[in-house]
Amino acid sequence: MNLLIVDSMTWTITVLGWFIVFVALVFLIGVFLTVPKILTWGTKRALRKKNRMAKKDVAVEDDELVITGETNAAIAMALHMYFNEQHDEESNVITIKEVKKRYSPWSSKVYSFNNVNFPR
Amino acid sequence: MKRFITLFGVLSLLFSLQFIGGGFEAFAAGPDAAGDTFMDHASKGLETFWNFTGFHNVHFTHLIMIGVGLFFIFLAIKYDYEPLLLIPIGTGVILGNIPFLEGYKIGLYEEGSVLNYLYFGVQQGVYPPLIFLGIGAMTDFSSLISNPKLMILGAAAQVGIFATFLGASWMGFTPQEAGAIGIIGGADGPTAIFLSSKLAPTLMGAIAIAAYSYMALVPVIQPPIMRLIIPKHERTIKMKPPRAVSKTEKIMFPIIGLLLTTFISPSALPLLGMLFFGNLLKESGVTERLADTARNSMINIVTILLGITVGASTQADYFLTTDSLKIFGLGAVSFMVATAGGLLFARLMNVFLKGDNKINPLIGAAGVSAVPDSARVVQHEGLKSDPNNHLLMHAMAPNVSGVIGSAVAAGILLSFLM
Repeated sequence: MNLLIVDSMTWTITVLGWFIVFVALVFLIGVFLTVPKILTWGTKRALRKKNRMAKKDVAVEDDELVITGETNAAIAMALHMYFNEQHDEESNVITIKEVKKRYSPWSSKVYSFNNVNFPR
Repeated sequence: MKRFITLFGVLSLLFSLQFIGGGFEAFAAGPDAAGDTFMDHASKGLETFWNFTGFHNVHFTHLIMIGVGLFFIFLAIKYDYEPLLLIPIGTGVILGNIPFLEGYKIGLYEEGSVLNYLYFGVQQGVYPPLIFLGIGAMTDFSSLISNPKLMILGAAAQVGIFATFLGASWMGFTPQEAGAIGIIGGADGPTAIFLSSKLAPTLMGAIAIAAYSYMALVPVIQPPIMRLIIPKHERTIKMKPPRAVSKTEKIMFPIIGLLLTTFISPSALPLLGMLFFGNLLKESGVTERLADTARNSMINIVTILLGITVGASTQADYFLTTDSLKIFGLGAVSFMVATAGGLLFARLMNVFLKGDNKINPLIGAAGVSAVPDSARVVQHEGLKSDPNNHLLMHAMAPNVSGVIGSAVAAGILLSFLM
């Protein structure tokens, strides 16, 4: 198979096309590697400002800003358990209400029998 | 019952009135003005009816295509290979190959027919961007945002597109046709339809069917190549879990992605624009109703229309040509080259990565796009080598970047070849 018989334009499109796809995605990679850094920098700056306002002298560590997947999963699990098991947190006072019924003679047994004495 | 008998009796009495006074003899033997008897009329009517039926117009090519349609339906139901695509396409193939008499606005290629109206969306590239909108609203890009370097695997796997473009040119296709065939290597049905509708409308049926068939066959095509290229000890590499991604990053991703990719490749604007728009609807958190429609009702409707019309576009007389066979051959090669490209690049990346930053090279195969099937295949193969190694989340990164990569590649081909 001699691919050299393909004209130069085809080769140009092949090589250049693939190269542009690479460049486009490498460009995106660059941006998305930078974005978290900018966001972290912004958060740190805001925290430092907040500390200064509160007159606290605490340095903001990088580790404090990173929340790992495990931590998030643990928080999510705790919240899920809290919201779904609320029925356990009850007053423990059981009240049995007396059911009051008005007297009605419509099915009273007394009226369904003939009050005739049996001969003894 | 009694009423029915009465009604039937009255009707038959009325019908028999015409035979009174010698009418019956005339009915049996008398020729009309044109000299035709009742029997002539009846036989002519039956003959016309026969000419209209599929049995009269059938050609063995129709039967072959109906067999193909049935095979697609079989694959979808028996093996669960992309049933959402193969069932509509398979039914469409059967629908498009029912033999009929032309000239009555029935067929897909006949101006004014219902199928022709539905096919408009394919011909003019309306459906693919709508599908991309739904994909965007469905896809979670967090794994890609958390580890952006995996995006490069999506670019590496696009080698399939350009290698096939080269191969198709070598086989004598025009540059436009070669470009349209090459996109099969992008393993992305909507992109393939979009590009072929612009560059080579006559080959669109074959290209779309090839793309969707190979996408459905990803679980068959990819594993042997993975086992061939990646040694066993590399298949067991465990990757560190992706970091948590903030909401701000998730919202920024579609906006930045949209701006960057469309500025680089404006020809892919309908695809990339819709993809990132759909994702913004999902991630913004304030347009849940729109995102919900895009990822459910709308994508389902468009998939039905796209599947059935693409299937019906394979009318035997347009489809069964040597060109179609060549396209199928090239498509298979392009899928293999794309998979191999992603895998080899992943191994190359590992040369430069140290310690626990190393990646499992299997995820390179997911760079071919074919969302999410190729990522699923990676997960499956990873589990075979180590039952505790879950690669799905990691594989989703090259997988979705493959979608972006193939859309960018389509835009580049479009701008070079239009």
